[in-house]
Amino acid sequence: MIKLRINGKEVEAEEGEYIIDVAKRNGIDIPHFCYNERLERIGACRLCVVEVKGMPRLQASCSTQVKEHMEIYTHTPRVLEARRVNMQLLLANHDLYCTLCKENLLCKLQRYASELMIEDTPFEILHRYDEIDNSSVSIRRDNNKCILCEQCVRICNDVQTVYAIGLVNRGINTRVKPSFEHTMKESACINCGQCVVACPTGALTEKSDIQGVIDALNSNKYLIAQTAPSIRATLGECFGIPAGTPVTGKMVSALKQIGFDKVFDTNFGADICIIEEATEFIKRIKQKGTLPMITTCCPAWIKFGEQFYYEELNKNMSTCRSPQAILASLVKTYYAKKINKNPEDIILVDIMPCTAKKYEILRPEFKGEADFVLTTVELAKLLKQLNVDFVNLPHTEFDDPLGFSTGAGDIFGHTGGVMEAALRTVADWLSGEDLKEIDYKEIRGMEEVKEAEIDIAGMSIRICVVHTMGAARKLLEQIKAGKSPYHFIEIMACYGGCIGGGGQPPPHNKERLAKRIKALINVDERKKIRKSHKNPAALKIYAEYLGEPGSKKAHRLLHTTYSKKSYV
Amino acid sequence: MKTLQKTYLKAWKKANKLGPEKTIKILKKKGLTGRGGADFPTWLKWELTRKTKSKERIIICNADEGEPGTFKDKLILEKNPENVIEGILIAAYCIDSKEAYIYLRGEYAYLKDKLRKTIKKILKATKSDLYLEIIEGAGAYICGDETAIISSIENKRGYPNFKPPYPSQKGLYNKPTLINNVETLANVPLALINKDWNNHSRLFSISGDVLRPGVYELKIGTRLEKIAKKVQAKNPKAVYFGASGGCIYYEPNLIIDQKNLCKKNVMLGTCSLIFVNKKRNILDIAINIAQFFTHESCGKCTPCREGNIHILNLLERIKSKKATEKDLQLLEKLSIIIKDTSLCGLGQTCTNHILTAIRHFKEDFQVK
Repeated sequence: MIKLRINGKEVEAEEGEYIIDVAKRNGIDIPHFCYNERLERIGACRLCVVEVKGMPRLQASCSTQVKEHMEIYTHTPRVLEARRVNMQLLLANHDLYCTLCKENLLCKLQRYASELMIEDTPFEILHRYDEIDNSSVSIRRDNNKCILCEQCVRICNDVQTVYAIGLVNRGINTRVKPSFEHTMKESACINCGQCVVACPTGALTEKSDIQGVIDALNSNKYLIAQTAPSIRATLGECFGIPAGTPVTGKMVSALKQIGFDKVFDTNFGADICIIEEATEFIKRIKQKGTLPMITTCCPAWIKFGEQFYYEELNKNMSTCRSPQAILASLVKTYYAKKINKNPEDIILVDIMPCTAKKYEILRPEFKGEADFVLTTVELAKLLKQLNVDFVNLPHTEFDDPLGFSTGAGDIFGHTGGVMEAALRTVADWLSGEDLKEIDYKEIRGMEEVKEAEIDIAGMSIRICVVHTMGAARKLLEQIKAGKSPYHFIEIMACYGGCIGGGGQPPPHNKERLAKRIKALINVDERKKIRKSHKNPAALKIYAEYLGEPGSKKAHRLLHTTYSKKSYV
Repeated sequence: MKTLQKTYLKAWKKANKLGPEKTIKILKKKGLTGRGGADFPTWLKWELTRKTKSKERIIICNADEGEPGTFKDKLILEKNPENVIEGILIAAYCIDSKEAYIYLRGEYAYLKDKLRKTIKKILKATKSDLYLEIIEGAGAYICGDETAIISSIENKRGYPNFKPPYPSQKGLYNKPTLINNVETLANVPLALINKDWNNHSRLFSISGDVLRPGVYELKIGTRLEKIAKKVQAKNPKAVYFGASGGCIYYEPNLIIDQKNLCKKNVMLGTCSLIFVNKKRNILDIAINIAQFFTHESCGKCTPCREGNIHILNLLERIKSKKATEKDLQLLEKLSIIIKDTSLCGLGQTCTNHILTAIRHFKEDFQVK
């Protein structure tokens, strides 16, 4: 422990800590663009500069370590002037039509400009005419708004190891772009949207489908919405409700209010997903099929796998569809038949935490099923546009029959949740009992790689849960080399799982993500039924329509295939 | 020139006899300092790299000579590459390194073949197991910065990084790395065996409005007037101290040494002097230099990337006689903030020429 002074006040810190982190702990939130607790420090934006006694120049607090007896000043006139001028430089090279920007009121550049009371820039405005890249179905790239904090590049390269975007050119002409002058669509982008979450400005935003949904709401089609497990834990944040507050009932009310005829729960799809996946896993174990089996709920991971590891790993990927695709399939077949509607007269809107779901619904395997995907952030924008007073809405239940879910479905929204839900069912089925011990705490939490060995009916099952593609890549390399010790692996592309998805409201710091996870675990723990195979609505569909789990019909409607994708 | 005297591996043999500690001690006693512009004690750099715990250490010879008006390393590499390589071998012996790179400026690619042959010859003669590779730069000025060299050799974008950690702690591939300039390494063997060697003798790159441009070996402490006479500078108005300092200043009686220059807020850097005669307008010189930095700013940090283009715009505004007193004030303010907040040496010095030019040649910066 060392002692130092910040603005005259004595504070304590560990050796090796950086000024910005010590300041934050002591109630001083130093403005910054390029600093992100999860990424390598680069010290590029220079907004976080502070004065340190004895040092001739201002120091970037994100990349300067504290020292014993250091005297730091975070808001002297010299510091404020430097921050203001650097902001004015950024603004002189920025598309300043703030009110016409998707990120309006959510933008960090706007926020700091306001906090530093910048009313003009003395510098000549440099007009940029960078073409907007609208080629991707998930992500819109507008370089006219980029301030080169490199968060997107570091997320894509260092965390996800996808290398879809990087820096090109030099100096004032530096731009973030895919390599070889490719568009986003042609690049290796896996559509995860982690860059969108990281982007402090409107340079990277989700590709909006809001207008399509508004048009659909005004048509005479039958409107159905499904909401993913994690949305209930995050949507409230967009309306000022504290992080970690589930808003399930209000969300259903809101969707009904704006004109949806039915609101179903993707968690129901999750329960079916577990029933199929557990069946598949037990079959692989008993018939010595390809192991480890890898979960396939995450469309970004699927694209990653198809691009980089198809030959080696396509047999390891579960054939089971994602909960979204399962529910979409059931809506357009089973449910359409049940309510005597032509599937073409039904419009299904998915509310997802994820920008990659926009890509998933366009996969040829799922053609004609889901019609639109809105992310959490988009749904909030839609509700605001349609004048929904979200905070004061009453509680409404999901609709039957595709709206009932167990606790196992709820936890799909965070890392480790799919595995835990699967284990609850696998353990019951292999032991032939109704087990009471169903909390698999060893695979909960924010560690990137979590492994466990679980004893089920005398069988030792080795599992691994991993999130972020960089961490997953190491496991995939292990399988490729034939050295994987595991039977069952869960992969989620986003940090924290779907609660940290590319369509969730930023910022995604550890503390906030932990609160979201806690919210989902609470929802699960309060449910009476917490095992997917005990979901009475799901069992009814099997009895009425699908037959046995893993049946031919189930395979046609609930499973899928993969194919090699090129990426250069 | 003393610097070009060949030592024919005598110093290397001496170092091997003395052992690393004693060799470093001699360098300390002789007072050899870095010739890349910072004048950092060479022995200390070696000692720091040597002391960092690691199985492997790396040496980089910085031959990315890119400072405006500097061309002395080119001369050394042309005329006396043997001493540079001997210097690398001595350093490798002293800090216990088996891996070294010469990071050669892209424009010096024509030297590569000769350099490679010399390396081969010397490694054979010394039976050294040192891995010594030449890496060609691609032409970016920023890659002369030691942290940017590291990124470049690692096949990354040539971006500088903040320090600490210093390369001596965590350098190329995260291993402790010793980075020395060509002239520094060429002086290592000389300092070890020549009794009359001292640190005051430097190679000066002299160019501009002079009749006899070129590399001169001069003593630190020489009067500027004497240098002007020697290189036949006619009617000198100013000198642009081109290297990593970049100040514009003139005073006939100015004594060229670090301490003395420091008092005038001028940095000596790599000892490059570009003379400017009285027919020229300093504003034009400033514009030329600003164009260089606008082109060579790497783009990483905000003040240098976004600021330099406005420095250039403001200078051109003054040139076109449209500028007001307010523009001049903004130019000064921006120059100070770029210096004060930039990440690396480029940004921290790239506006020195503006600030010194305005201070000493105000008459050339006419505003409304």
